[in-house]
Amino acid sequence: MVEETRQILSIQSHVVHGYVGNKAATFPLQYRGWNVDALNTVQFSNHPGYGSFTGFREDEENLYKIIESGLVNGLGIKYNAILTGYLPSVDSLQGISRLVNDLCLQKQIPWILDPVLGDNGKLYVDMECVTMYKKILSTCQVYLTVPNQFEMETLTGMKITNMNTLKQSFQKFHQLYPGVQRVIVSSIDFPTNLKQKPNCNTYTVAFTEFSNFDNFQYFTVDKIEAHFNGSGDLFSALLVDMLFPTSDREVSVSLAVAVGKALDLTHQILNKTYRLTVKLSGAQSGTHPHPPSVPHIKDLKLIQSAELLRVRTEDIDIRYPLSQV
Amino acid sequence: MPRLLATQSHVVHGYVGNKAATFPLQCLGWDVDCCNSVQFSNHTGYGMDRVFGNITNQNDLEALLGGVFANFATDYDAILSGYLPNKESVNCMGQHYSKFKAENKKLLWLMDPVMGDEGQLYVNEDVIPEYQKLTFSPDSLVDIITPNQYELEILYGKKISSREELKQSLQELHKTVPVIVVTSCSSELFDDKGYIYCVASIKGENPVVYRIPFIDTYFTGVGDLFSALLLDRITKLYQDETSTLKFADQIDDIINVLQRVLKMTKYHSKENIKSKMGSVKGMKDMELRIVESRDLYHTIPIVNNDLPIDFSNKKYLYEEL
Repeated sequence: MVEETRQILSIQSHVVHGYVGNKAATFPLQYRGWNVDALNTVQFSNHPGYGSFTGFREDEENLYKIIESGLVNGLGIKYNAILTGYLPSVDSLQGISRLVNDLCLQKQIPWILDPVLGDNGKLYVDMECVTMYKKILSTCQVYLTVPNQFEMETLTGMKITNMNTLKQSFQKFHQLYPGVQRVIVSSIDFPTNLKQKPNCNTYTVAFTEFSNFDNFQYFTVDKIEAHFNGSGDLFSALLVDMLFPTSDREVSVSLAVAVGKALDLTHQILNKTYRLTVKLSGAQSGTHPHPPSVPHIKDLKLIQSAELLRVRTEDIDIRYPLSQV
Repeated sequence: MPRLLATQSHVVHGYVGNKAATFPLQCLGWDVDCCNSVQFSNHTGYGMDRVFGNITNQNDLEALLGGVFANFATDYDAILSGYLPNKESVNCMGQHYSKFKAENKKLLWLMDPVMGDEGQLYVNEDVIPEYQKLTFSPDSLVDIITPNQYELEILYGKKISSREELKQSLQELHKTVPVIVVTSCSSELFDDKGYIYCVASIKGENPVVYRIPFIDTYFTGVGDLFSALLLDRITKLYQDETSTLKFADQIDDIINVLQRVLKMTKYHSKENIKSKMGSVKGMKDMELRIVESRDLYHTIPIVNNDLPIDFSNKKYLYEEL
């Protein structure tokens, strides 16, 4: 049997060189059988991690028309999912989110929202955008959102330092944003000096669903000693692929299975990227468990990972341990 | 991994311009850096009243290409340009690409002078002298051009109505451009009207004619896929000095890939309808099945036996011009 190609509208940034935003999401999704309608919210020469970049932002009105007059009313495309990431201004955040929300409600399309606010304790949008994200999440129907630890802390106003505060932050999130049905907090790094988490070679990916925000599940994942640009964008794209394995909307996968498989594939690609980028300096890493500086890997090796992306969803192992709180 | 910079159009839905070129090249192992000259909801074949979006204005394009070349001055093995909407954008591409090629002599520059098809111009007229300048300037650094017959006539400045005239036009262009592939030639020039013709010419050799069975349907993006594949195959030809591949065979290989993609596209189109320009449903059905063709871009495809499609390679090389 030949699988029907799935359709996704992916609203994210575009960089000419490198793999973040739509450039990180598109190739993996296409390779795994998705037509990716990539709507670019900005076009930059490269991501800011390079130090300097050039480019421009698309204005809200233009993006709005492309979606509303073009894709929806003009062509009548039936999407299996809509993914939104970086939007460059308060205006576009507000306008595009409202449009996507209406569209998703009307046509029963799952909306996966990546609240792009910042990372590692630093905001890369202004406070107005934070306020707007809070407003959007408190008023919209979102199938899934995928904040990182810092974004979760920003959205809930609570620090995550251990399992207990993580649990409280999920509860707080649900109180504030009851229209959000699922939350995955990627890459939680608990402070290493805490007794309950002496092992700093792992991080935590925790998630919960609308029906049960008092409890959550989490994977404990091996850490790769490097900072990658684009890994979160890759993860959310693969997550969409695992959540919706066919174009049949009735087929659903449990969140735990989807997260587990997306994590596994993401990690294989990050490992491959690491091996290809940090060339053979690993010979000494056995004697230096904590390298003096963590390498900054600016570009995922996505093209070299094509073979990894060929794997059938049913053949992906969930190798990381799953726990419940 | 080879790396390409491609400056051409981006459509959100469907497969023309960078959307038609990028995924196939990625499947062939290329890192493709896309600089988008426009962002439209879909291609213009749907009817102009159904196209929404913006062109990248001159300042923005200038800043983008400037930023890319400043930060990644030695990263590229090839540069490609396709649809550019106006004089300013062609000029901007031309200036940056010329400078870049001059500093990186080994990289290949493929210029698809996208201006129109079958007697219809779809860019402003003031684009023409820009492409003529890039093609004919005595210090032109363009390695490969891929016009259709109409675009060749525009560049050459004369209508081509015989094989002899076609030959003369190629000789004229070869004074400055080493590789010319005329992606579609009018069947009027040849004996048998049931085919479409492609003519490939490398400086110093006789041009070769390829004959392809005519498919009575309207596909968009085929030319963009052609130039992407051409860049891949020619890079393989030139970069590997021990290669025994021949230019003429590489063109045959490309036509085989295109035929496979078209077969895949026809197979998936719901009613095998003849597509009409302007009919949304028809146009949507005739979007190239770029994603479904994932395993068909290499010379030897990986064939899914569940599909009732004959993907075997055929010989399209017909005769010398």
